[in-house]
Amino acid sequence: MDSPVFAAETLGLTKRYPLAWKRRVVVALNKLDLQVRPGEVFGLLGPNGSGKSTTIKLLLGLIRPNEGEARIFGLGPDDLEARRRIGFLPENPYFYGFLTGDETLQFFGKLCGLRGAKLTARINELIDLVSLQNGRERPLRSYSKGMLQRIGLAQAMIHDPDLLFLDEPTAGVDPQGSAQIRDLILRLKKMGKTVIFSSHLLEQVQEVADRVAIFSLGRKVLEGSLDDLLTEKEATLVSVPGELTDARRDELERLLAQSGFTGANVQFSRPRLSLEQLYLRTVEAERQP
Amino acid sequence: MTAVRFPWPRVALIALVVCLWAPIKLAWEIGLERQQDELRYHGVVVTRQLRDQLSQGLTIGVLAGFRNIVADFVWLDVTVAWEKYEWFKMDALINLVTSLEPRSILFWDNGGWQLAWNVSIFVKDDVVHQPNELRRLHDARFWIYRGLDVYQRGIENNPTSYKLWESMGQLYQNRLGDYYRAAWCYGRASQLPGAPVYLERFPAIMMGNQFAHDDWKAYELWKELWFRLTPAQRLEKAHWQEKIISNIRQLENTLKVPREKRVFPN
Amino acid sequence: MIGRILVIARNTLLEAVRQKVLNVLLLFGLVMIAASSYFSQVAIDQQIKFVKDFGCGAIGLIGVCIAILSVAQLLPQELHNRTIYTILAKPVRRSEFLLGKFVGVVLLLTLSVALMSIAFAAVLWWQETQGLAAVQADYVHTPGWGKSPELTNMYQHDVAQIVNQVRDPQMVEAILLIFAKLVMAAAMAMLVSTFSTSFIFTVITTCGIYLIGHMESAARDVWLSHGAQATFGQGLFLEMLSLLVPDMNSFTIVDEILDGNVVPWWHTWNLLGYSAVYTGVLLALSELIFEFREI
Repeated sequence: MDSPVFAAETLGLTKRYPLAWKRRVVVALNKLDLQVRPGEVFGLLGPNGSGKSTTIKLLLGLIRPNEGEARIFGLGPDDLEARRRIGFLPENPYFYGFLTGDETLQFFGKLCGLRGAKLTARINELIDLVSLQNGRERPLRSYSKGMLQRIGLAQAMIHDPDLLFLDEPTAGVDPQGSAQIRDLILRLKKMGKTVIFSSHLLEQVQEVADRVAIFSLGRKVLEGSLDDLLTEKEATLVSVPGELTDARRDELERLLAQSGFTGANVQFSRPRLSLEQLYLRTVEAERQP
Repeated sequence: MTAVRFPWPRVALIALVVCLWAPIKLAWEIGLERQQDELRYHGVVVTRQLRDQLSQGLTIGVLAGFRNIVADFVWLDVTVAWEKYEWFKMDALINLVTSLEPRSILFWDNGGWQLAWNVSIFVKDDVVHQPNELRRLHDARFWIYRGLDVYQRGIENNPTSYKLWESMGQLYQNRLGDYYRAAWCYGRASQLPGAPVYLERFPAIMMGNQFAHDDWKAYELWKELWFRLTPAQRLEKAHWQEKIISNIRQLENTLKVPREKRVFPN
Repeated sequence: MIGRILVIARNTLLEAVRQKVLNVLLLFGLVMIAASSYFSQVAIDQQIKFVKDFGCGAIGLIGVCIAILSVAQLLPQELHNRTIYTILAKPVRRSEFLLGKFVGVVLLLTLSVALMSIAFAAVLWWQETQGLAAVQADYVHTPGWGKSPELTNMYQHDVAQIVNQVRDPQMVEAILLIFAKLVMAAAMAMLVSTFSTSFIFTVITTCGIYLIGHMESAARDVWLSHGAQATFGQGLFLEMLSLLVPDMNSFTIVDEILDGNVVPWWHTWNLLGYSAVYTGVLLALSELIFEFREI
């Protein structure tokens, strides 16, 4: 590969917002260099107002940079060819409340040039994928937040894009929905799609992202693969099934001491479930007939 | 995609579009106005005088392009003034309506009729307010001429309308007894587009025995009508061929026109 | 491209219809009923004139409200609901989005004007029936009715007058000209809304331009004929007015049509062409501004 084409790439991307009344300029994004390879799941992390949404909007061509460049599959974001290959789920999406679920997907499908039987088939497929069967005939104004998020995902995928931008996809969604979205992202990854998503819920990012970039005050402060970033090189965790009796614990400590691991560096503990895991396990059990 | 500092080229393009369009727009509008002038359409200019006569709301209405509706409302006031016996106010309101809508025949025609007939006849019979009969007749005549004035101004503004000529003819005939002028008005009316065919016989009838008793003039007018009609027109029912012929024959006998000069020598 | 514009246009129309914008048209019905009963005191030919004036006036007024209000809320609503992000992230150009929205409003105006015209025609038809009955009542009681051919002639002439007044084919011209004016008003609102940041600002500014447009011809006359006598400030003001504000007063030629005067088609076409080109220029400017607007 002589010149790899990145799914998304930014070079020195900078966005400033002038505050007209205060004679001050807010730097929303400062000289961002980012490369996302095709097939990657890339997480943008950071507190509110750190530049995640600005980055996505710049990559989508919704706003224009003051400096630098954004590229989608090597094309400018204004290029219709580039837009054909991307899907976007905005933060807290609102759609036309007067349209039903089906009509919403039809509308966005037609905007992407889909028509007729092909569009109908695609809509059926997506409705199944995001489990919105009960929302097909209902107007969107009666949707719950989770349903809106799911119809949002469906419209983002209507034209089967290669690159998906998901802005806070799990904000305001219950853990179930959130887990579904996580599964969906993993499924997309398996299909070879690229996903760029932003979140401030770190646990979720951890579960799906290949690589992350952490933002603060408009700057990218850290970037790398999760394996690299999260592996504690100074320790190793060993897990065994069942409860550890005192006798076996002493035996183990002795064995470890023979290998030179002694003192405060050796720790024994019971692994804990995360609350999410507990919640999901309980609710799923209830749902079983 | 290049970095954007300020979109000067685009601003320049906008300025260019505006600069190119402005002169075209101006020329086009002047052309439109010229065409409207040729159509004798002359809207209304809101002068200070007009503004003083209209309420604020009505002035805004005129400025917002609802001139006709404002005129309609003022016209309703004419009826109100009639019910209150306010003749001069009626006169002023009719003036106002017709200056708002100078191309509405309806307002000129009804305005003139209100003054020359309704007001004039009321004044003539109004013994309570004016016991002196001569003064009453004088006032009645004053209002007839006010009405006549409305018709005349209406004709100036609408030279192709037969209706106002006809109404003026009726006024001369019925209110002033001036059959020669009435005949002239009917004659003018009958020549204009849309005029009912019966008007073409009115001038000659005006000269007849019921009215002016001027047989020679009547003969002349019947003959003129007969020669004006084309052979095809003469056969149309509306032109009353028999009536014209019998009138001419009768007058030729009465006036003892020499045989060689008759239209229909027996 | 055309396909995408039409998809957006259709959606805009659907939104207006589902939000029951067309209920406003009931207002038209009320105006017409009120007008025809309020004027029943005057003679029938005047009644018909008044009903025609009010009908066209109401179509124009209700239409301009629909045009300006629906355009003014388009962009703010799209931005507020963030629906614009989802649309523009699809393979849709900004110009297509803007044009689609505008075409949607034009479709809405077409529908409204068509419905109002049908109601208007119904009221006029009813007026005609009333009018003909009144004329007949007049003649039946005239001595010699049925015997004198002259009287029959006059009766027929009066009937023809009312029928001509009601069934004036030129009303088509009048409605077309009113419609052209509404489309222009919508385009003006579109231009203002591309740089405006609030609904209220767009509505007030557009209404202002629309009203001033009715005085533009007067300003132009003064500028062209007495421009030299004006002070620099006055001259500049008149010049800006004459060069930038569309001439809405020319469209009051509709009043002439309503008075039964002949306005030839070539003049109507000229006016329609003027409004079409003006609308195009306004849309082009809107697009140029919208293209670099931050959303």
